[in-house]
Amino acid sequence: MTDAARTTTAPLAEPTARPRTVALRPFGLDGARTGPISAVTGFLLIAVWFLVSHYRLVTPLFLPAPGEVAAQFIAILEDGYAGATLGEHVSASLLRILAAALIAASLGIPLGLAMGLNRWAKGVLDTPIEFYWPLPPLAYLPLMIIWLGIGEVSKIALLTLAMFAPICLSAQAGLRSLPIERVNAALSLGATRWQLFRAIVLPSALPEILTGLRIAIGVGWSTLVAAELIAATRGIGFMIMSASHFLATDVVFVGIGIIAAWAFAFSYGMRLLESWLVPWKGKT
Amino acid sequence: MLRVQNASVFFPGRDGGVIHALDRASLDIDANSVVVALGASGCGKSTLLNAIAGFLPLSDGRITLDGQPVERPGADRGVVFQKDTLLPWKSVLDNVALGLDFAGLPLRERRDRAAELLRLVGLEGFAKSAPHELSGGMRQRVGIARALATDPKILLMDEPFGALDSLTREQMQELLIDVWARTGKRIFFITHSIEEALFLGTTVVVMSPRPGRIVARFDLDFVRRFAAERDVRAILSDPAFGDLHNRIRDLVHRPHHATVHRGETLQ
Repeated sequence: MTDAARTTTAPLAEPTARPRTVALRPFGLDGARTGPISAVTGFLLIAVWFLVSHYRLVTPLFLPAPGEVAAQFIAILEDGYAGATLGEHVSASLLRILAAALIAASLGIPLGLAMGLNRWAKGVLDTPIEFYWPLPPLAYLPLMIIWLGIGEVSKIALLTLAMFAPICLSAQAGLRSLPIERVNAALSLGATRWQLFRAIVLPSALPEILTGLRIAIGVGWSTLVAAELIAATRGIGFMIMSASHFLATDVVFVGIGIIAAWAFAFSYGMRLLESWLVPWKGKT
Repeated sequence: MLRVQNASVFFPGRDGGVIHALDRASLDIDANSVVVALGASGCGKSTLLNAIAGFLPLSDGRITLDGQPVERPGADRGVVFQKDTLLPWKSVLDNVALGLDFAGLPLRERRDRAAELLRLVGLEGFAKSAPHELSGGMRQRVGIARALATDPKILLMDEPFGALDSLTREQMQELLIDVWARTGKRIFFITHSIEEALFLGTTVVVMSPRPGRIVARFDLDFVRRFAAERDVRAILSDPAFGDLHNRIRDLVHRPHHATVHRGETLQ
């Protein structure tokens, strides 16, 4: 036997339980689990909150104790706030956000796609959209009220404007990301213009559109307080603003908690919607 | 017959100049033939294919398919791209059936036809898979099946195996010959591999860059021999194969001089 043959039959490692598996050294997070760390962080933040309020390190006017906030939440849940039940406040806000999202999506998606396809649509619509969308909604809130009154219309219009831009821009981005080979492939398979749009363009743009929708929902929640700033009698944003006038910090905390919970639920729902509608995202 | 007559293409260049991408190319693709365009990058072979597919208008010249001028893309010319263009949201079966969907065939019918084509390319077990679950070679098989589904008059293949590893590539070449032998489709195939050109083409046109031009044309029978005998080694070890390989290599590497010096089969 030669040396070379012997090396191939070198004694194998002991057949222990399981060999040490390895992977390429990652850069950045690379999908590492962060859930437990986040949970512990949340727990610690609440613990700090407890301690700070327990030892009165901050006056309760600025930072109410967790117990007070919980008690206030239950009180509002049972007795309502400012003449309306908690359910009415929440549903008023939800209705505004959902109505605005529906309007913004049904305008933003077709207009964004049109802007990606047509020179005139892009040329005409680009000017007003590029002008208004960097503006903070609070800046044009007074105009909404002057033009549309103090009812629901101005509130929904404000939210719609805030949500329209990200949806419209994402629909354009979706069209830009469409590879020309995919279009050519469809045309050489005999697609008509409409078939091309329905079978290729729209589904190709859908992942970007859904991302835009998710951003828009987030923008909607962050604009909600502004929308309910003036002449509202219902809504979570109204509740917060109203409570702040009476320095009812615990109510403000309850309102913030409710908005955070709903915003989180919406964001989670959008993620579910994405995994249902565009399961192929990132797998091409 | 697909006929390309004096096709020229100019692209806009920098500083107001023009790039002469294709210079008076003429080409006939008869029934049951595989015409392979071979050349280095920039020689205009993809430009020629894009023009035949109808993706690119000609600056000058004309292309006709069975007498009808080619002006736009259409289902009478099936295209297989180098990069796979499968739709990630559709199953393999529905990707193959896409052209039949556009043609308005009922669901049952198009699924039956697509399943038949998947058998032809050896993917019968993958009808329900998603494209991203397949390897590169398998995706190109789906691409071939999809292009065949609408029963085109010609199959246009733009370096379809260029991105595959060499082992998969050999399998795909044999598969393509099988498909060709069984369907009798005429094929226009682009490659920069001399061996692939010799192995697949009933006709090989050699192209040279700047301006893109057809400089030589060879009529071969290796592909028919392979279809009949299925003996790769006999073909690769044939002295004629090696000889042609060397001659074409010279043409590709020194195209301008070679055009002048070689008497045979030049255009």
